[in-house]
Amino acid sequence: MNNVKLGAFVLAGLFCLILLLYMIGKNRNMFGSNFILKSRFENVQGLKQGNNVRYAGIDVGTVKKVTIINDTLMEVIMIIDNKMKTVIHKNALVSIATDGLVGNKVVNISAVKQLAPLAQNGDILASKRPLDTDEMLKKLNNTNNDIGSVAEELKYTIQRINNSNALWSVLNEKGLPQNLKLSAINIRQATARAKDMANDLYAIVNDVKMGKGSIGSILTDTSFAYNLNEAVVKIKSVGDEADSLSRQISDAVSGIQRDVDSGKGTIHSLLKDSLLVIKLNKSLDNIQQGTDGFNQNMEALKHNFLFRGYFRRLEKQKIGIKKDQ
Amino acid sequence: MAKATPLNSFLDQAGSLSKFSFRFLWQWFKPRYEGSEFLRQCYVIGYNSLPLIGLTGFIMGLVLTMQLRPSMIEYGVESQLPAIVGISVVREIGPVITALIFAGKIGSSIGAELGSMKVTEQIDAMQVSGTNPFKYLVVSRVLAATLMLPILVILSDAISLYGSYIGVNIRGNTSFNLFWTQVFDNLAFYDVLPAFIKTFFFGFAVGIIGCFKGYNSNKGTEGVGRSANSAVVVSSIMIFILDLLAVQITDVLGFN
Repeated sequence: MNNVKLGAFVLAGLFCLILLLYMIGKNRNMFGSNFILKSRFENVQGLKQGNNVRYAGIDVGTVKKVTIINDTLMEVIMIIDNKMKTVIHKNALVSIATDGLVGNKVVNISAVKQLAPLAQNGDILASKRPLDTDEMLKKLNNTNNDIGSVAEELKYTIQRINNSNALWSVLNEKGLPQNLKLSAINIRQATARAKDMANDLYAIVNDVKMGKGSIGSILTDTSFAYNLNEAVVKIKSVGDEADSLSRQISDAVSGIQRDVDSGKGTIHSLLKDSLLVIKLNKSLDNIQQGTDGFNQNMEALKHNFLFRGYFRRLEKQKIGIKKDQ
Repeated sequence: MAKATPLNSFLDQAGSLSKFSFRFLWQWFKPRYEGSEFLRQCYVIGYNSLPLIGLTGFIMGLVLTMQLRPSMIEYGVESQLPAIVGISVVREIGPVITALIFAGKIGSSIGAELGSMKVTEQIDAMQVSGTNPFKYLVVSRVLAATLMLPILVILSDAISLYGSYIGVNIRGNTSFNLFWTQVFDNLAFYDVLPAFIKTFFFGFAVGIIGCFKGYNSNKGTEGVGRSANSAVVVSSIMIFILDLLAVQITDVLGFN
């Protein structure tokens, strides 16, 4: 009897031990069939042998080894459950993340939408640059600074609003709601009118479409269109004539221009001959002298006895007219 | 013999104990094995200790969980309670507490039993009757203690963690499955194996020191009490010294 109890005791202990070891081994993928996937990183961020590998958030394996390929490239070798052979594709992306904010490192395998063949044993999957906490904090710091300055400005704005008497007087104005209400009523009326107007316009447009009214007839009458066309043709022919006329004028002008330029004709001699100008000047001088002589002659004639009586009578008449006035 | 200074008597005890241990190893390998006596001792030492060790283990797991909870809440990692209790119980608290209780129960009983046999000259009588008293009394007991303590520790760990599960669920709400998943997720072979291996040494220390103290008992009835007492004291200290050695060795080997 004692031996039975002892046997039960020992077996219970061994069972617990084996269970413990089995559970741990299962978590490390030591039992069952697995396959190997690899990925390469610049920086593995403290990833260690035994860290979990997740596919879409499910634990599918563990990290078997992290090896150094060269000074800038590390290779992570992962043991993946065989069941995942039908799930993971060759183009899946591998990244290193942290489990929670301060937890262990984990390897995340995530699917890509494009089609690709399934991953085989020993394949090297593409890696995504890991999320760097330092970089994140740096960026967060920048954001914080920005938010700080925004808050500063906001504070200033609020202070100004608080100190602004005008705004507060507007807000405190008792009649404001009433006015606003009235405005709203006005707006409503205006919109009602606008609606009426739009209705009228609609009706007019309808009429026009139907061919009613003068615009309607303009738009819908085909004979009118013909007439219009004819008028346009006529206008065009008039334009053509005007065009030819202007061409003729242009020809005439250019003929004159040509004459002037080539030294033929009167106009040319008037405009371009410098001798003529001197002659003309002389003639005008002669005329001046002639008229001066004539004036002297006439003055002399006035004082001649034959004409003196006539001039005296003329003066007397002038004086008489002034006296009458 | 040199003067009986404390240092001298300590060295004397250490030397005698080493000799005793070599004698045990020598006798162990020599044929004529006392199989039935070994099994009887296994029953007495192992099976009969289970209730006591189970109770202490259960209370230990429960109390540890409840004591850790406030700190874990303070750090916002209450959900990691099973993990941290699992690691501390499996790595350290399970083996050491169990070994200490074991030393108190088994070390004292071996020391007293062998001591009384020694002072009533039963051991001499055994030698006269042709039985090898060392083989019959010492080897069977030491071997039984060495092999039974690891089993007791494993069972105590399991009971402890069950106590911890109850402790977690007093205030929180964690399902049985989730609790064990979290415990096992955070355990690795290098947590379990060094802890498991050191329990063999703990058991051996308790057995050999109890036997040594009892086997070398003298001065009549008073001596029996003294050997029982010193067996417990020395084996308890020995457990801690071995624990210190074990953690350093695992550290050096890179399993920590």
